[in-house]
Amino acid sequence: MLNEERIIMMTRMAAYESGEGKKNGAIGSYFRGDYIGLQVLKSVISATIAYFLVCGIYVLYHFETLLDGIYEMDLWGFARKAANAYIVTVVVYALISYVVYSYKYGKAKKKQKAYMGRLRQLSQLYQLESKNKQS
Amino acid sequence: MATLLVFKEKLKSFYSKYEVYLVPVLKFVTAMISLLMINKKLGYMAQINSTAVVLIVSLLCSFLPLNIIVVMAAAFSLGHVYSLSWECLVVLLVLYLLLFLLYFRFSPKDTIAVLLTPVCFALKIPVVMPLSMGLVGGPSSVVSVGCGVIVYYVLDFIDRNAPAIHSLDADGTLVRFRYFLDGIMHDRAMIMMVAAFAVTIIVVYIIRRMPVDHCWTIAMITGALMSMVILMVGDLKFHTNISIIGTIVGSIAAVGIVKVLQFFVFNVDYSRTEHIQFEDDEYYYYVKAVPKMSVTIPDKTVTKLDTRKPLQHTGSGNTVHHEVSPQGTAAQAGERIPARSSMPTRPSATKGVQGTTTHKEQQTKKSNTVSGVNRLREHNEK
Repeated sequence: MLNEERIIMMTRMAAYESGEGKKNGAIGSYFRGDYIGLQVLKSVISATIAYFLVCGIYVLYHFETLLDGIYEMDLWGFARKAANAYIVTVVVYALISYVVYSYKYGKAKKKQKAYMGRLRQLSQLYQLESKNKQS
Repeated sequence: MATLLVFKEKLKSFYSKYEVYLVPVLKFVTAMISLLMINKKLGYMAQINSTAVVLIVSLLCSFLPLNIIVVMAAAFSLGHVYSLSWECLVVLLVLYLLLFLLYFRFSPKDTIAVLLTPVCFALKIPVVMPLSMGLVGGPSSVVSVGCGVIVYYVLDFIDRNAPAIHSLDADGTLVRFRYFLDGIMHDRAMIMMVAAFAVTIIVVYIIRRMPVDHCWTIAMITGALMSMVILMVGDLKFHTNISIIGTIVGSIAAVGIVKVLQFFVFNVDYSRTEHIQFEDDEYYYYVKAVPKMSVTIPDKTVTKLDTRKPLQHTGSGNTVHHEVSPQGTAAQAGERIPARSSMPTRPSATKGVQGTTTHKEQQTKKSNTVSGVNRLREHNEK
C-alpha cells in the first residue's frame, strides 16, 4: 500500500538532494573550522597570485624608470613597501573570505539540519507503517 | 491586470512544460548575441570572426553550464586582442584573471552580469543592469556590474584606438603597453560610469527592501534618476563626453524594460517540473513533480437578457441578468453570447440592468484579480 504523505516527503527530499543538497552536503561534511580554514587558504593563494599579477603589470609599466634608477633606489625600503602591501592585501582578502564563507557554512548547515529533521520524520513514518502492518 | 496575470501563469506553465528545451535555447541565444557583438566590435582575428564559428560555439554553450558562455566570450575577446597586439592581450588577460581570482570565487552566479553589462552597453541601455541587479541582487552586485563596465570600456578603448596601437609598432613594446594602460586608467567616463552604477545599485537595493507599497517601482525610477543625475553632473565636472540625450532616453527605456522584467521574470517562481527517482525497501519511485499553477484562467460567458422585461428588475442588487462565471459555467440556462461585443446597446431602456450587471461584473473581476494575486503570493511564499 502506498503512503501518499511519505511519497510527497520523499519527493521533496529527493528534489533537494539532487539540487541544492549536493552543495550543502559537501559543505556540511566539513567541520566549521576545517571548511572556513580551507577556503581562507584558497583565498590567500588567490590573493597572492593576483598581487603578483598586479606587481608584474606595475613593473612593466614603470620598467624604464625602475631600470634607470635601480642603482640609486632604496631597494630594502622598496621591498618593505611591497611586502607591506602584500600583507595588507592578503589579510583584507582573507578577512572578507572568512566572513563570506562563515555565512555560507551557516546557511548550508541550517538547510542540512532541516533536511535531517525531514529524514527523522520519514523514519517515524516508516516505523508507524510497520506497526500498522503488524497490528 | 488579470489578463497579464493569466498571461504570466501561461508563461510559467509553458516554461515548466518545455524547460528542457527552453533553457538551452536561451543559452544559445545569449551566447550567440554576445559572441556576434564581440566579433562586430573587435573582429581582428579572421579565424574566429565568422558566423559559422559563432554558431558552433553557441551550440556548444547551450549544453554546457551558463558560466561557459562567459569563458567563451572572454576567449573570443582575448583572441581578437591577441591579433591586434600582445601587450593588450597581457593587460586584458590580467584583468580577467583578477576578476576570476578575486571576485568570482565568492559568487560564481554573478559572472553572467559581467557578460550582460557590455551587451546592455552595446544595446544603448546600460542602466538596465544596475536597476536589475539592485532589484534581484544585493550590494555585492556592485562589484560584478563594475567589472562588466570595466570590461566594456577596455574593449571599447581597444576598438577606438586600434589604429593608434598599430601605429606604435615601431616604438616598441613598452610604449604600446604604457599607452594602453594609460588609456584605460585615465578613462574618466569609465570611472564615472562605475561610480554611477554602484550608487544606483545600492539606492535601488535599499529602496526595494523598504516596507512600502510599490517599492520596486519607486526603486527603479529613483535608481534611473540617480544614475542620470550622477552621469550628467560627472559630464559637467569631468567632461566625460557622455551623450545627455542618450542617457535620458536610455534610462527611460531601461525603466520600461526593467518593469517588464519585474513582472515576467523577477517576481515569478519559474518552478521547474522535477523528474526524480528514489527507492525504498518495497518500491522504485519515478516521480514527475509538476508545480501547481495558481491563477485560474477566466472563461467568461454571458447569458442573454430577457429583453422583454428589463425594467422589472431595475435596482435589485440580488438579481443578476448577466452572469459572469470565471469557471466557464453559466448559472442560468440560456443562449451564450460573447461578453461585451454583442451586448444589447440600448442605454435608455436597459440602464438599470446594465448598471447592475457592470457593477457585478466589476466585482467579479476584482475578486478574481485579488484572489489570483493572493494565490500567487501564497505560491511564491511557499
